[in-house]
Amino acid sequence: MLLEVKGFSKQFGGLAAISNVDFSVKKGEIRGLIGPNGSGKSTLFNLISGVYTPDKGRISLDGEDISGLEPHEIARRGIARTFQLLRLFGQMTVLENLLVGHHAHIRYSAPAAIFGLPNVWAEETRVKDEMMDLLSFIGLADYAGMPAGELSGGQRRLLTIGRAIAMRPKILLLDEPAAGLSPVNVDNLLRLIVSLKERYGLTLVVIEHILKVVMDTCETVTVLEHGEKIAEGPPAKIKDDPRVVEAYLGKEMSDAEVQAFLKAS
Amino acid sequence: MRATPVRRAWPWLLGFGALLVLPLITSNAYHRYLLTIILINVILAVGLNIVKGFAGQVTVGHIALAAIGAYTSAALSAYYGVPFWLALPGAMLAAGLAGVMIGIPSFRLEGAYLALATLGLAESVRIYFSATDYFGASIGFGDIPPPFIGGYAINTHLSYYYLVMPLALAGIYFSFAILRSDIGRSFQALREDPLAASVSGINVRKYKLLAFLISALYAGCAGSLQAHLSPGFIHPNNYTIVEMVTLLLMVVLGGIGHIWGGIIGAVLVTIVYDLTRDYYQYQLAIFGMIIVLTVTYMPKGIGGIIDRLFAERRFNARRKASAEKSNAA
Ligand SMILES: Nc1ncnc2c1ncn2[C@@H]1O[C@H](COP(=O)(O)OP(=O)(O)OP(=O)(O)O)[C@@H](O)[C@H]1O
Ligand SMILES: [Mg+2]
Repeated sequence: MLLEVKGFSKQFGGLAAISNVDFSVKKGEIRGLIGPNGSGKSTLFNLISGVYTPDKGRISLDGEDISGLEPHEIARRGIARTFQLLRLFGQMTVLENLLVGHHAHIRYSAPAAIFGLPNVWAEETRVKDEMMDLLSFIGLADYAGMPAGELSGGQRRLLTIGRAIAMRPKILLLDEPAAGLSPVNVDNLLRLIVSLKERYGLTLVVIEHILKVVMDTCETVTVLEHGEKIAEGPPAKIKDDPRVVEAYLGKEMSDAEVQAFLKAS
Repeated sequence: MRATPVRRAWPWLLGFGALLVLPLITSNAYHRYLLTIILINVILAVGLNIVKGFAGQVTVGHIALAAIGAYTSAALSAYYGVPFWLALPGAMLAAGLAGVMIGIPSFRLEGAYLALATLGLAESVRIYFSATDYFGASIGFGDIPPPFIGGYAINTHLSYYYLVMPLALAGIYFSFAILRSDIGRSFQALREDPLAASVSGINVRKYKLLAFLISALYAGCAGSLQAHLSPGFIHPNNYTIVEMVTLLLMVVLGGIGHIWGGIIGAVLVTIVYDLTRDYYQYQLAIFGMIIVLTVTYMPKGIGGIIDRLFAERRFNARRKASAEKSNAA
């Protein structure tokens, strides 16, 4: 197993946002993570990436125990993530956003940077070329010099994925990458995500409300409800699971979600 | 367009040349003194811009770091006969250490709370110097020897200018080098979103401290230069909240995070500060008001205006180019 989470629990006040969740992802897999609003999906990402510390439970990556590490240490070990609310560096340029993602791989010392030594320019040229490649691949090369905050919503979402991939992670956690996109763009995004996975040898976990996305793309789907894992398996099995159907057809589900779910099934 | 070493160097050489002849335009000793003060303030402002502008840490402790640099340099050279050339790095080291300590509250505090914490630390530093006889207490620290090159004392306004100018230019160069490197990007990232920065692999605490450290080195350098400037006298009153507000005004007016803006801000504010010296009691109120007005009506400061001019020029050039292309087609 590439990622192995054992017995994660997290309480907020009296609310159990995540309770005793096991979550293992194989290398090379595309895992779907679904569940109604407030079921704990983003919280699980926050726990895995070290943004929150779990009350209980352990986590390992590639066999190494990474429990209790800080977010930047976890990032450097190979876990990258995007945020539901994007969290781009809006005043920095599109290219700079990727370069920040690539931070851990930039090889020159702080004194060299301060003195502006030639090896810094050489390395900057190398990483900028590399990041421009990535930008072309996600179709944002024309905007390289533009402040990220001026991109359109869909482009911003792409850029957060790019920033995470610039980290050269072993595993990439995408929190609702297709939210707010038109159906055509959702399809394009899916194709892009799959090709990024191939190109960069990624393992992916995708949180998605648009069930079609998960059902079409993922080999295995994990379902959360009220912070508990209620089902896990291939999409075809999951969508007939009575607990899943109940969770989705229960009172938390909006009309749009019902439509989306029915379309997927 | 790739910048070659030559292309990178010529603007700096040009600037150096211009600054070499600048003080020769006037034979007025006071104007030369003012030029020197301006350049020392440029060092202070450029340093403050790194921690405040690039890294977004709202510190009001910068002036105290200059004080620590000034008093360290003064004590080293006046009491121990340490030559200026060693007292200067000593002052930078002392200010650097103090800067890291002033930076520690930034782990837990942000914005106004961080400002308050750093203000508290800064005021205690000033009160310490004004109450300690060793440092001249409220009488001030005098008889600080000038820098020497061999047997030649750098104690005229003109020679001191030529001591300060290369240091100021180097300070400006370093701040550009930092801003354009991974360090500068990390600073900006933690300013814009510390959480996103940390999940991108940036050790936010380390980079906050680095920003405080680097800016403190600038402050220590400026402080040492203030101390050895003829007549070699420093006083706790040179490091009060008024001086801090003046310094903040340079950076805010210049456009926070904008290197050239900060430099222009330092030049303008130093001149205005000097012209209004007779109205010392009103300076704090006036400068404070200008800060509020700038933040409210011109949040990007002078730097914002510069950027707009350049962006417009680039935009026009691009529009012209694309118009020509479509004409040709
Ligand atoms: N920092 C926090 N403080 C308090 N409560 C929180 C915090 N983060 C999450 N929660 C709560 O934990 C529960 C799970 O939230 P989470 O964001 O993980 O849900 P989600 O499955 O991602 O939902 P959505 O589909 O709406 O994004 C919610 O009830 C939420 O209000
Ligand atoms: Mg969520």
